[in-house]
Parts: sequence; structure tokens; C-alpha cells
Amino acid sequence: MADSTPFLALSGISAGYGGKQVLRGVSFEARAGELTGLLGANGCGKTTLLKALCRQIPSAGTCLCGGADLSALSGRELGRRISYIPQRTGVGISLPALEVVLMGFNPRLGLLEQPSKAQEARALEALAAVGLAEAAYQDYQTLSEGQKQLCVLARAMVEDASLLLLDEPESSLDFPHRRRMMKLLTGMVSGREPGGDGTCPEKAGLVALHDPALALEFCRRLVLMKDGVCAAVLRPTEDGIPDMEAALSEIYGPVRLADLGENGRRRLAMLAKE
Amino acid sequence: MRPRSAENSQAALCAAAGVLLLAAALASLLVGKYPLSLPALLGGDAGQLRVFLTLRLPRTLMAALGGFALGAAGYVFQTVFRNPLAAPDMIGVSSGASAGAAFAILFLPAVPFAVTAAAFTGGLLAVGVALGLSALAPGGKNGSIVLAGIAVHALAQTVLMALKLAADPERQLASIEYWIMGSLNAVTLGKIPFYCAVCLLALAGVFLLHRQIVLLSVEEGEARMLGVPVGRMRLLVLVLATLVVASVISVTGVISFIGLLAPHAARLLTRDNRLPTLALSGLLGGVLLLIADILARGAAATELPVSIFTSLIGAPFLLYLILKGNGGARHG
Repeated sequence: MADSTPFLALSGISAGYGGKQVLRGVSFEARAGELTGLLGANGCGKTTLLKALCRQIPSAGTCLCGGADLSALSGRELGRRISYIPQRTGVGISLPALEVVLMGFNPRLGLLEQPSKAQEARALEALAAVGLAEAAYQDYQTLSEGQKQLCVLARAMVEDASLLLLDEPESSLDFPHRRRMMKLLTGMVSGREPGGDGTCPEKAGLVALHDPALALEFCRRLVLMKDGVCAAVLRPTEDGIPDMEAALSEIYGPVRLADLGENGRRRLAMLAKE
Repeated sequence: MRPRSAENSQAALCAAAGVLLLAAALASLLVGKYPLSLPALLGGDAGQLRVFLTLRLPRTLMAALGGFALGAAGYVFQTVFRNPLAAPDMIGVSSGASAGAAFAILFLPAVPFAVTAAAFTGGLLAVGVALGLSALAPGGKNGSIVLAGIAVHALAQTVLMALKLAADPERQLASIEYWIMGSLNAVTLGKIPFYCAVCLLALAGVFLLHRQIVLLSVEEGEARMLGVPVGRMRLLVLVLATLVVASVISVTGVISFIGLLAPHAARLLTRDNRLPTLALSGLLGGVLLLIADILARGAAATELPVSIFTSLIGAPFLLYLILKGNGGARHG
């Protein structure tokens, strides 16, 4: 169980593209060992926030992660601490899926160093964990979009970074695979899943999701974004259902939450109000 | 495909291309205006030995190394720019070298090796200007390097045109045109050591950095999060590839098509982009240039430009590979 000090603390993050301001001072906190979901309508700034955190676009405000100011880190150190999965991965040339996973070791390899046999074995383990053991030597370009997402998830597993930033990693996956991915992510941040070599004991995950049902089930904390700010932070396992309904309705229009609890554990379903 | 068999088949492809390269090199050593025979050479025939040492050996070495270098450099450009049409000339090295060579033909006719040195300088200068201009653009993305390269290419072409206009049509203009068409005719043992050394050193750098080159093909933001210092690494790799190309074409003149074709052929054969594909790009480039050069000196009574044959052999080979392969490997 994570302690109460925040592992990730964002305050006043503002960013945009050219003259267009997208984020207007986003502030929230996230705990280690937990998956934090980013929810919001299209264009609310989820992707922009993730890009700002990994310094792909200039931003104002501070982001502390494990006590370190992300904006003060060297590029290489940033790469070592953050594992980033964009909406569509940018691997555009023919390579075996295994090679794509091995890229995850790069932040910890010397410039001219090759991945070791042990690292290759770990990459194969990660591919097996995401269900791609059979495709390890297949050309990445011939994988389906969903398989590509799983392959890049395996890469994030071996990267073993302390902060996972994922931009709609579930978008191309079918129902069972979405759940599998979310379970793997939960396992990764809580340290249950075989990751790298255990160099990084504390992890937090920030995942932008399209599907609120998935977020309500798997994320311990939900950050609701609207118009470039954090509109509310929800804790789906603890907060009152009427409060959550009100907050979610602000974003998705009128919605109703139903608790389909099993064995005393809350399981929420969300429907639009007719 | 199972791992073993995939790696074995890539190794077998490289070995086969290596054998082909050696066979083509042997043929290149013996074939020509003065045919040589192995028994006479081994028997110590003075005339044959002189032809062998002063003409054939440097020419064959340059063809093998030059073809290898152009093929490997083509792999680098296509991978880094994620563009199957990328070729070493894309960021200005060939047009810069041509302008440099034309300058030396016009203004430094009496200086020994001036054309080679000026071509080398011109090629590096053009790429330097292109990379410098693109550094001024915010972000320094791939796109701005390509655009700056196109601008510099156009500029160098204009300089070349102006130099051609100023040239004496009888001698200088012809020299310029022949230089641009490329030939291994003028390769001598005295000319090549420096350029071969530069080429080999830069090639060694490319091979050592091959894992980083593959990582540069990943989208920029993602690559940075994988710990790649994208801006600096791309600059280093492009400078190395430019040195590889400039050191070759400053000696041989512009040789077309190898940098485009060899990596395509290699990828269609391996369906991969890792180290064996880089090696195969080089080996196939070497084979292609050796065969083209044998034909250039043997097909007609006079020496023909080598680029005619690189295209003539290369284009049908590429078509064959495209028609044979179902889909092929992705590179763009």
C-alpha cells in the first residue's frame, strides 16, 4: 500500500501549440503504486499534458516526480525515469517485435552497447506476459494495431521506469485485451508484474483513457479534465456515487452510475441518462 | 519465423553477397583493355604486374569500397529519414561535390588532385550549410533537414550551372560533364589513401552506431523517451554518412542509384532493418558497382560512364525484387 505523500505532483502546468493555449494550469497529485486515469472529452488536453510532462512541448509550471523536478533533468535521465507510450507508436520500419521490446533497455545501455542475453530473455518474458510470445520474431509492421499496442506495452515493462505515461493505450484493443492491458498496467505500477531488474521500486502510472468504464474499474484515482484544467479528482473505490455522477456529468453530459458490486467490492457501470 | 532460422538465413545472405563481391572483384582485377591472367601475374610478368598495381588494383579497391560505402550510406539515410526514397544526395552532398569539382576544373587546372579535394570540400560544405540552416528552425525536425537539403541542393545546382556557363566548352565543360557522370577510370593509387581512410573510419562509426540508427527511425518524441539524444545523434550519424559518401564521390564522380537501390534490395531480402541489413546494403552496393565498372570499361571500345550501368543493372533488379516479394519490408 502506498504511503500518503504524493509520488507525482503537478502544479500549474500550462502548455499549448504555437499561440494556442491548451493547458491552463493543471494541478493534481498521484500516488506511487497506483494507476491514475486521465479522463476528458476529445480536445480537453489529455495528450498535451502527457507531451508536456515528457518535455515534447514547452510548458510552464512544475512537475515533481519522486522528489525530482522533471524540467531540471537531463534528457537521458528523463528517458530513464519515464516510459511513454503515445497514441500511435512511431516505429515505422520493419523489425522483429522482440527488437522493438529491446529498445526499452536503451536508456540503461551505453551508446555502443548491445542488449545482453539476460535482457533478451526478459524481453521475451514481457512479450509472453502481454500474450505475444508467438509473435516475438514476427515483423512488427505485420502485427495488428492491437498487437502493436501490446508489444509497446511489453517495451514499457522492460523499461522499468518510475513514471508510466500512456496515451490511450487501449484504443485499438478488443474487450478482453483491454482488460488484460489494464491488469498488466496495475500490476506494473504496484510492482507485481515482472518488469526490468527491479531497479525502480516505486512506480506511478498516468494513463489517458477513452473508456470511462475501464477507468472506473482499474484506476485508483481519476483526474477529470475539462478545458485545459483539472476539473475534479475522483477515487472510484471510496467516493460517494452521487458526487462522482455529478463530476462525470460535467464532462460526458448527464450520466448515471450503477454499483454492480460483487463480494462486497464496488464495481461501477456508467450509462448515459436518457 | 523461428529465431535461429531467421538469423541463419540473414547470415547466409550476407555470406553469399560476400562471395559474390569477391568473385566480382577478382573479375574486375583481370578484365579490361589489357586482359590479365593469373598465371602470368603469379609468374612475375613485369608488364602485367604494372598494369595490375597501377590500374586494376586501385580501381577494383575503389569500386568495391565505393559501392559498399554508397549502399551503407543509403541505408542510413533511408532509416534516419524513415523515407524509402531518401538517398545520399538528398541533403546536398552530390550537388555540392559537383559544384566543387567544377570549380576546381575551371580555376585550379594545374593543381594536382585539386578536383578531388574541391569535390570533397564542396560536398561537406553543402551538407554543413543544410544542417546549419535546419538547426535554425525551431525543433530541428527531420522535415526541416530535408527542406534545407533541397534548398542547398538547388543552390549548388545554380552554382554548377553558372560554372558550366563560364567553362570553355571544348575542354572544361566536357570535363565537368564527365565528372558528373562518374567513372572509376581516373582512380590511381596515389589519389585514394586519404579518401579510403576517411571512408573506412566513417563506415566503422556507422556500423558501431547501428543500434542508434535504428532507434532514430522511431518517432522523435518517443525516441527521446527511449533515451536517444535525438538531435545530437542524428547530426553525428548524418555527418558520418556524408563523410562516407563524399570521400567516395570526390574520387569517382557522382554515381547514381546505388545508394537508393542497395538498401531496398537488402531489405527485400532480409525483411528486417537490423545490422545484417546494413551489412547486406553495403555488400550489394559493392557487387553492383564492381559489375557496373567492368561493363563500363568492357562494353564498348571507349570507357563509358559507370552510372549508366549502375542504373541499367539496378533498375531491373529492383523491379524483379518488387514483383517477387509480396509486400516486402517497411522502411518509410
